[in-house]
Amino acid sequence: MPDIPAPARGGLAIGAPEPLRADPHAVQWAPLRRAAVARAAPSAHARAVARLGSRTPENTTNLVLVLGRARDPHGGLWIRARLPARRAQTGWLPRSALGGYEEVHTRLVVDRARLTLTLLRNGRAVFRAPVGIGRAATPTPAGAFYVRDRLTRYASPFYGPVAFGTSAQSATLTDWPAGGYVGIHGTDQPGLVPGRISHGCIRLRNADIARLARLLPVGTPLEIR
Amino acid sequence: MERDLRLDDIDRDGAIADALGTMHGHTRADLLRGALVGGGALLAACAAPASASAASSRARDASILNFALTLEELQAAFYTEVERNRVLRGELKRQADTVGGHERAHVRAFRDVLGSKAIKRPHFDFGGATEGSDAFRRTAVAFEDLAVAAYKGQAPHIRSRAYLASALAIHSVEARHAAWIRRLAGKPPVAGPFDEPVSRPAATRIVARTHFVVRRTSRKGPRFTG
Repeated sequence: MPDIPAPARGGLAIGAPEPLRADPHAVQWAPLRRAAVARAAPSAHARAVARLGSRTPENTTNLVLVLGRARDPHGGLWIRARLPARRAQTGWLPRSALGGYEEVHTRLVVDRARLTLTLLRNGRAVFRAPVGIGRAATPTPAGAFYVRDRLTRYASPFYGPVAFGTSAQSATLTDWPAGGYVGIHGTDQPGLVPGRISHGCIRLRNADIARLARLLPVGTPLEIR
Repeated sequence: MERDLRLDDIDRDGAIADALGTMHGHTRADLLRGALVGGGALLAACAAPASASAASSRARDASILNFALTLEELQAAFYTEVERNRVLRGELKRQADTVGGHERAHVRAFRDVLGSKAIKRPHFDFGGATEGSDAFRRTAVAFEDLAVAAYKGQAPHIRSRAYLASALAIHSVEARHAAWIRRLAGKPPVAGPFDEPVSRPAATRIVARTHFVVRRTSRKGPRFTG
């Protein structure tokens, strides 16, 4: 009677289950699925604090940082979010206006006194570079913001090879086309970095922005201090 | 004469259609029409390949593993999100936490073996399916039933015995997941004496119709302050 073969060995190394660990550095963001009104409280009757479109001025998907959630008396789910708005930096949006959550473990800090930009991943600095920031008449705004989009398919030496859009808006260039949003980008004048030389944007030397682009995911919280 | 395979055949309790219909406003009839699979396609999928070189066998296996990876990514992201949202309690939470750990292990295993040939991680939008226990339960039943049927559909086409052994190891775990969530959803853990496979096009179409996998785009240049 022929022997029954032994079980075949698997070609995939299936490891142990991977439990989800509490991560103090994890931050959620979500894209806007449609235009929506952000409100001061989790209720359709609460005061409107901002109107958000589903696209950014660069025609990328608009997004918000997720800060919390609550249900209204009718069971509707609301998300407290950091907003790309000048007047209200946070507000409540109906969950139905948002798409799927994404998660980042990075944080970006721009120090206006030291003229540096630092990227942290899981709380540890992984990148640091000198920056150019806004002049006295057009300062880079301080506050808590986030990285909203990443642009590469354009040809503009002024912005360098890569540009990131942020949720920060200039407090002085209020009539600037497309809302006066602050970007993080390269430059065709590297000799001016570091310095206080821009309209509010954060400029890096091209080699630095190219290196940052490999490390910085969209949705990363941005602290400008 | 071959009969067309319908979503009804793999979705005996209507879990997939009901879950997806509830979340996205499709009627069950729409979904059933959308998931119709031609008998010819089914027959072709079941037929043994005539002959294949070693290279084409490897390419086919990589393609099947990537298909499985897509389903695993979908499930892993789903369970991870519901766990992060902290909306489940009791036995349902225990099921989601445990199964999520398994699905993440599956993803890692596929990525390790596929290396640079692995698909890029997709973006997901689960709508309200990760925000409450009812929607979660219905969707989890749908996902687990679909995964079981999809593994069954592809396993006979895997040429490498080692990969087939691994696929069977995962398939039975997915079946246990399905039985567990079915019990928690008040459905019979086992629908019948034999399970039917689902073809790759049908599985792809079912996933596509959920709109759970999304795309994000960038088209214009900067318009910053400068």
